[in-house]
Amino acid sequence: MIHEHDSLELVPDSIYLSALRFLSKEGSLLDRRDYRGWLALLTDDIHYRVSAQINQDAAAGTKDYAIIDEDEGNLRARVEQIATPKLTHAENPPSLARRFFSSVNVEETEQSNEIIAYSNIMVFRSKPEIIDGGLYAGFREDLLRKVDGQWRLARRFVRLDHSTLYGCVSIIF
Amino acid sequence: MNVHANESLTSGTHRQLVDVERGIVEREAFVSDQVFADEIKNIFQKKWIYLAHESEIPEAGNYVTRLLGDASVIIVRSAKGQFHGILNSCRHRGTELCRADAGRLKRFVCPYHGWSYEHDGKLISTAFDTHMPPDMDFSAWTLIRVPRLESYKGLIFGCWDKSVEDLAEYLGDFRFYLDAFAARTPEGMEVLAPPHRWRAKTNWKVGALNFLGDGQHLQFTHAGPLALDPVRAAKKGLAIRAAQSVQVIVDGRHGCNLNYLAPDLPAVEYETRPTELLPVYAQMLSPLQNRLLNDLRVGVGTIFPNLSFIESQVATRAKALILRQWQPISATEMEVLSWILAERESSADYKAQLVAKGIHNFGVAGVFEQDDMVLWQSGTSGSRSPISHSYPFSFMSALPFREHPLVDFYGPGRAYSQTLTEISQLEFMNTWQEQLRMHA
Repeated sequence: MIHEHDSLELVPDSIYLSALRFLSKEGSLLDRRDYRGWLALLTDDIHYRVSAQINQDAAAGTKDYAIIDEDEGNLRARVEQIATPKLTHAENPPSLARRFFSSVNVEETEQSNEIIAYSNIMVFRSKPEIIDGGLYAGFREDLLRKVDGQWRLARRFVRLDHSTLYGCVSIIF
Repeated sequence: MNVHANESLTSGTHRQLVDVERGIVEREAFVSDQVFADEIKNIFQKKWIYLAHESEIPEAGNYVTRLLGDASVIIVRSAKGQFHGILNSCRHRGTELCRADAGRLKRFVCPYHGWSYEHDGKLISTAFDTHMPPDMDFSAWTLIRVPRLESYKGLIFGCWDKSVEDLAEYLGDFRFYLDAFAARTPEGMEVLAPPHRWRAKTNWKVGALNFLGDGQHLQFTHAGPLALDPVRAAKKGLAIRAAQSVQVIVDGRHGCNLNYLAPDLPAVEYETRPTELLPVYAQMLSPLQNRLLNDLRVGVGTIFPNLSFIESQVATRAKALILRQWQPISATEMEVLSWILAERESSADYKAQLVAKGIHNFGVAGVFEQDDMVLWQSGTSGSRSPISHSYPFSFMSALPFREHPLVDFYGPGRAYSQTLTEISQLEFMNTWQEQLRMHA
């Protein structure tokens, strides 16, 4: 479902930069826990999926399995819960988290108003019960769609580089 | 940890950790390294422990690696369709034969020096047979086998103790309930995806007890998803038919909580089981088992010691049957495995939906699960200091109703009309204590 590859076609710098700006802004909203702001960047048909991997024989390739697979309604409910202090224990006190992305690759699609942005993602987060903090690492494939002149996130697939995870995953990647 | 040297549980001179009359359990049961060591020996090496579902290893040579107690074992389907369980350790120098979680192999070949084995553990060759003593007895060097391996309707269990009673006998009358959830169609259930796997810093029993019969935590721990359920929000006073809800405990060790919906709730607002399968359940299950499933809101339970299940029969966003195992890693750490199951006969579309939605509530990123994990870990942190070990945990809400089971309940075991008591949890801990003492 996620294809890691080098883009053969170089998109114009302006598109690449605008995708970078979007990812920076979007990540920063999450770092600041501005969940309303982040939700406003999503399209109504958002598909948000996070997967982990199983350890298997190298010849068998990659096998990932979903740990989060949400449409708009389920994603909104998930975010609403962690965004509302009275409705969450896992995120109250909240995770202190910061997102770092790199190795961004951008591809145009058949839709003139859509591009795909690939990135490596690392999220540091500490919590009362994880005082030294921990890292999640993964690969992201995002579908960005231009709506009223602004990029919005229509699809995010994250494949984490983990087989056994820790605690519970209560943050947004 | 506050355990005295002469009070090992296996010596028979230990102090009592579970007091059923007073409804209390000593904290050491959940944090002591000595207790944990005794559990591994007297429970996880003596009782039937869940390993895998048959559908996870569908073809000859398919295997998964799992924990049987504290030991890594390989569960493999042979060419003849039989299942074998073997300790994941070469007889030569101990190297793990399988370091992957799952795969497919014609035979096991140790990567270190090439010793090779059949699926049933028989030694084929040491790769240097001509260098071995001519009288070497190959049959004495088979892989270490799990002596008892049985499958109950697709659920494969193993036991290190060859004298354990048959699995069907071990499950006993609880099969009435288990079948209603995990074996209600002719083709049975299948696992839809690799299990979620995560670690949490709490004792395995905390999860087992919560899923066995903890109705009290729902409104506090899970205030979030309950408040955000759109149908609940739309219908103030959504009535759980409390009068019909029951807490069941069978033979003091396996049990479940069954919560029911008010009958006038329009089912169309919830996702339910595939309607085309309802007549199939009616054929496969007894009328009483069908009665159990009708209007069921949530069924959740535990099979001693560490296999649990939960199914929301109706849910707005996240209907699924989840199988769950709480693996003992240490006194204060567990590894959780979580599988989603569906009837083989259900449509591909339905299964795809379940895989996506079933993990919304329960799983490593579940909106119910995340709050459970944080609070369970907090319970362990809160018991870190030996100062706290003089003050036991309360299971006292088991006491008022314990002697008053329903007299005419339609299912086996003891049933209570209160799902908000701690009766089944106290019974489970009592059985746990007896089991620890049995094998001194």
